[in-house]
Amino acid sequence: MAEHKLRQIAIYGKGGIGKSTTTQNLTAGLAELEKNVLVVGCDPKADSTRLLLGGLAQRTVLDTLREEGEEVELNKIMKPGFKGIKCVESGGPEPGVGCAGRGIITSIGLLERLGAYTEELDYVFYDVLGDVVCGGFAMPIREGKAKEIYIVASGEMMALYAANNIAKGIQKYAKKGGVRLGGIICNSRNVDREIELLKAFSEELGTQLIYLVPRDNIVQRAEIRKKTVIEYQPESHQAVEYRELARKIEENQYFVIPKPMTQERLEEILVEYGLMDLVEEYHI
Amino acid sequence: MSKYVDRPRFGCAMAGALGVLRAIPRAIPIIHASTGCGYNVYNGTNAGSAYLGGGYCGATSTPSSNIIEKEIVFGGEDRLEEQIKTTLEIMDGDLYVVVTGCMVEMVGDDAESVVKEFAGSENPPVIAVPTPSFKGNSYYGYDLLLEGLVKQYIVPKEKKEVRTVNILGILPGQDVLWKGNLKEIKRVLQLIGIKANTLFGEGETLQDIQHSAVASLNIIVSDVYGSLTAEAYKEIHEIPFIRTALPVGYLQTEKFLREIGGYFKIAESVIEKALESERDIYFDYVERIADIYNDVDFQRYSIVVSDANYAPSVSEFLSDELGWLPQLTVITDFLTEQQKQKLERRFEAYASGLKPTVRFDTDTSSVRRYLKDTWELDSNQRYYDSLGPSVILGSVFEKDLSDEFKYPLITISFPVTNRVIMNRAYVGFNGGITLIEDIFTTLVAGR
Repeated sequence: MAEHKLRQIAIYGKGGIGKSTTTQNLTAGLAELEKNVLVVGCDPKADSTRLLLGGLAQRTVLDTLREEGEEVELNKIMKPGFKGIKCVESGGPEPGVGCAGRGIITSIGLLERLGAYTEELDYVFYDVLGDVVCGGFAMPIREGKAKEIYIVASGEMMALYAANNIAKGIQKYAKKGGVRLGGIICNSRNVDREIELLKAFSEELGTQLIYLVPRDNIVQRAEIRKKTVIEYQPESHQAVEYRELARKIEENQYFVIPKPMTQERLEEILVEYGLMDLVEEYHI
Repeated sequence: MSKYVDRPRFGCAMAGALGVLRAIPRAIPIIHASTGCGYNVYNGTNAGSAYLGGGYCGATSTPSSNIIEKEIVFGGEDRLEEQIKTTLEIMDGDLYVVVTGCMVEMVGDDAESVVKEFAGSENPPVIAVPTPSFKGNSYYGYDLLLEGLVKQYIVPKEKKEVRTVNILGILPGQDVLWKGNLKEIKRVLQLIGIKANTLFGEGETLQDIQHSAVASLNIIVSDVYGSLTAEAYKEIHEIPFIRTALPVGYLQTEKFLREIGGYFKIAESVIEKALESERDIYFDYVERIADIYNDVDFQRYSIVVSDANYAPSVSEFLSDELGWLPQLTVITDFLTEQQKQKLERRFEAYASGLKPTVRFDTDTSSVRRYLKDTWELDSNQRYYDSLGPSVILGSVFEKDLSDEFKYPLITISFPVTNRVIMNRAYVGFNGGITLIEDIFTTLVAGR
């Protein structure tokens, strides 16, 4: 029997790109493969596990910590969701006060102390807020935490700018430790030549376009019902797509230290794939 | 690699601000920072300032929000509000000042908006002065605190009093002789008819600070410190400022009085009369040591290690009043190139015609290196002219140097832990006498 190994994975990407949706559908796919998964939402908005839990019923780690102190039971903050996926929300301060970055450090520290990282886990996913604004948001990729990172992007310019910036952060950590980029997940926006652009972008970064998730309104319909697509319509085409993404991640062996590009080079690629032309031609 | 400081001679910005509050009677500090900040500041300032003590509301009884991780994550403003309320209940004061530590500044606590909730109530005024130490050290903290008072506390006065001045640039605690120095500055200005408000000198109260906008001039007795405060006075209260050196001894104080007298167009006869009287007193004392000085030859090489305020003035005093041989002066603060150039000019026109080697360095261990650089080492030459006898005027950090080279040490600047200083001064006429007294006491101590 192969040695059981816990894979800790962090998902980054531009705000609003669909990290949480992708993570939850992906982990639902992994759960179908009988994998034991923990999802840690690292966003003060605490909406990273809504689809798995069927709503925002859960108390966040930091709320619990604030109200009850450090002597809390693990089951108060970790709830089982779809197919037994363990769900935790780090939570954070209200907008505009305190330090959300420190909040993530605090809550991951507490999860460790409470023994959330059990032997039988196959995967821990960290769904991290859009922009890595300070050291706290890099906590999931510090030494001893996530070793794999996937960046969610699309063919839109700002998503690629953000992805390139995140790659810079990963490169910094990768030089010191074991963290590696596992690939780019394209959450399609139906932009022209999107797949070519994303492939070229990934190649330039030294990584792979691990999967392109097509755009489908079923995702929004499932979200309204507080479900992942896999739970909402398991037979749908989109559910198959997410299962395929899960399989790709399960089988992924290609981990690299990214080579972020200069702003000029990034813009060259965008021009090459026609994106800039489109921007210029776009008139109302 | 980033620069570290080997045995720094200053505290953090909050320490500088707390030093000022320590000096103001009935001002109550409230620390908004992590547990331990207040304690550390006290331990540094108390001993290093020749035993300043905590007073009514200082030391380990300083009110502090003592924030913990919870306040870092969720913000510490509620905790601060609670701390202000309880402090108002328990501590008896006329002005409450919140100063902040680095961590609450990093997470963005808005202390200034918290104190607004206490405005207009029956309470004494509560103000907040953010003092993040990642922006500067205790010299900066002194300036921030006073600037805060100027902006938030001092009452505007349209009508200025002629020949009334405020004194800036002498930092309580950081200047271990601050109180005596302020007293002497006030006294010497009085001699030529100028009323000086030193803000927190002997007998001065919060009222003096509150009404300091009546001054028609601010005198900063420092080449580099006090800018923020002076600029705030200028902008808000339309009080111009001038900078002078810290006057140590007769010659420099005479120059100081002529400079200020010139500014106010005080009659030459008035200045001359004052100087004549002071001169008689001063040199009557100096005369006492003339015999022993000549009999046993008390001329010395001097090594001065001090801050930007003291180092130039003390070096000049040793050269031009004591007739000593100024060998090395190390100025130990963080300074800009422009400030360094300005200070260097203070060493260029000694009446003795001499000039010490001047170095700018924050590291204590560097002093030894500079000393060795300025003088040929003894390598068993047949004839060797040693750098001796010498005297070091510095801080207690120079103790090792003093032991190694067998040069007596006189502690004049922070940190001073080997003596207790109360009202003595090294500034002005009386300060010069006291400095002479201290220097020659050290030289005759073995007799």
